[in-house]
Amino acid sequence: MYFLPKKLKILIIEDEKELSDSIAAYLTSQDYSCDTAIDYNSALNKTESFDYDCILLDISIPGGNGLQVLESLKENNKNDGVLIISAKNSLDDKISGLNMGADDYLAKPFHLSELSARIAAIIRRKNFDGHNVIKFHNIAVDTQNKSITVNDIPVTLTRKEYDLLLYFISNKKRVISKDAIARHLWGDEMGGNFDFIYTHIKNLRKKLSDAGDADYIKSVYGIGYKFSD
Amino acid sequence: MKLLSKYNRINIPIIIVVLLISSVVYYSMLHVLLIHLVGHDLEIEEQEIRAFVKNNDSLPGASIYRDQQISFDTSLKEVPPRNFTTLINYDKGEGENELYRRLTFPIKVKNKVYQASVSKSQEEVEYLIKMIAYITLLIIVVLIGVLMIVNRFVLANLWKPFHSTLEQLKQFNISAKNKLQLKDTKITEFAELNETAVAMTDKVSNDYETLKSFTENASHEIQTPLAIMKMKLELLMQSENMNEVQMNCISALNEATDRLSRLNQSLLLLTKIDNSQFIDVENVDLSDLLLNHINNYEELASSKNISIKKNISPSVHVLANRSLMEILISNIMVNTIKHNYKNGWIEINVSGNILSVSNTGKKPSVNTNQLFERFKKSDSSSDSLGLGLAIVKKICDTCGFQVAYNYTEPMHTITFNFLKK
Repeated sequence: MYFLPKKLKILIIEDEKELSDSIAAYLTSQDYSCDTAIDYNSALNKTESFDYDCILLDISIPGGNGLQVLESLKENNKNDGVLIISAKNSLDDKISGLNMGADDYLAKPFHLSELSARIAAIIRRKNFDGHNVIKFHNIAVDTQNKSITVNDIPVTLTRKEYDLLLYFISNKKRVISKDAIARHLWGDEMGGNFDFIYTHIKNLRKKLSDAGDADYIKSVYGIGYKFSD
Repeated sequence: MKLLSKYNRINIPIIIVVLLISSVVYYSMLHVLLIHLVGHDLEIEEQEIRAFVKNNDSLPGASIYRDQQISFDTSLKEVPPRNFTTLINYDKGEGENELYRRLTFPIKVKNKVYQASVSKSQEEVEYLIKMIAYITLLIIVVLIGVLMIVNRFVLANLWKPFHSTLEQLKQFNISAKNKLQLKDTKITEFAELNETAVAMTDKVSNDYETLKSFTENASHEIQTPLAIMKMKLELLMQSENMNEVQMNCISALNEATDRLSRLNQSLLLLTKIDNSQFIDVENVDLSDLLLNHINNYEELASSKNISIKKNISPSVHVLANRSLMEILISNIMVNTIKHNYKNGWIEINVSGNILSVSNTGKKPSVNTNQLFERFKKSDSSSDSLGLGLAIVKKICDTCGFQVAYNYTEPMHTITFNFLKK
């Protein structure tokens, strides 16, 4: 297998093939290189043989428990980022997972765009210790100071506008549904409420274009938005 | 009506009627018997007179005593046959009428027939009957009284196992998982009742547990296909060159799937609270939690130009499960913004154990008592699920908080009392 040198490697440990395939398809389109494991043994094999930038770990996998994989990573002093994805949405799994060194937790069912944003955040923290400037054309986002510049001019964004922009950039060129945006910005309780998003999008658009940027936020009919040139 | 009253209502009239009839019969029989005894005395007198006539061949002298009179009527041509009669005589001594029992009989002295009459005052008999009647009446009254009192105490005692079972059944709480602790009883009916009650509550508890675990398992099982649907749709969304019809389909599918997914998550949460999966309690800093949430939703509120007025005393602590408290606060906060209107406001007050959250909003169209029920929502066309307040209520019930809702134009107010009941 040949990986382009700069591609980030993701391991998807998930026994449900359709889910695994969908995640892989989305992440591959985001320029990640994806590897999959469908049970405990293959997961252990892969984690011991390779280093991954981020591991997506389902707690309930055939042949063992996802938490055991986490334990083995710790024993081998591996520094792979771990994002637990669990159908159980059980608090115990979440707490024990995070206590055992997982970086984040995402309950199924989730939006692929949310997954992608979480992975990006984990990788940012792991690889650059948070000191990172993400660039999209002439927009630069400093994730440590939570500040942005457009054409080197600082633009003041509100917290939610910043979150929105970062979310867009983490899912660039992908169509993001309104529900995914609502949940990302305000949590699951705001799912299903879309009229609030419009104001935020409008404001963000205005601030970016005021700073002399092109309008990257495209409305996708009936579905949501897409951040692309 | 109490069983005892019902029983008395039937029993007492029957006793009274039976006693009345039997007293009349008793009185009459006693009367006949005693009159018969007087008659017997008169007959003895008759025999004595006859013996006297036989021995002396002459009539004995008439005698008039107060209670017994003997007289002979010699003037009658035709002497009537032997006969008992009752007559009323005026007693000069007593100054009143008195009843007498008289026996008249023909007697033959020296071939001549006379009419002899022996009479005896019935007064003593009447007195005796009266006394017996009084005593009997007294006994009856005492008997009924004693019966009632005894009934009351004996029955109360007899029904004790029943009341204890009833009390247990009243306190039976299906979600508290407490089994019935019924006292043993030797009374067959009550023992049977207890057996049935235990069997029934056991069955109900089992069914409830089965239903709960079914709901939870079903919700879990639904999650994977839902996740697949959501992801495939999200991938489909990325396709280029779709026409409007296809986009519309995907958009509708996407919204329906999201809705289903939210519904499933809410139901799962309710079941989990029911299944006591949130039992760890800690001292949660309510003030801090509220400020965090207000912070999170401030921008959301300002997008509708809603202002938030807060009056939060610092470090108010509530002993509760942290996750549940977070869900509670975020549910309430989201509601205050969702059901608000442009340029409205939100008021949040915390002091002591009381948290009150108010927001401007339209008058709810459903009965305010039903707002906490599942799937009740003020605006049926809205995209909300109608589970938010049901979850809030469930959390309050689980944690022992009191919650009340009130609408006073134009403010919706929801008040929590965190003092445990």
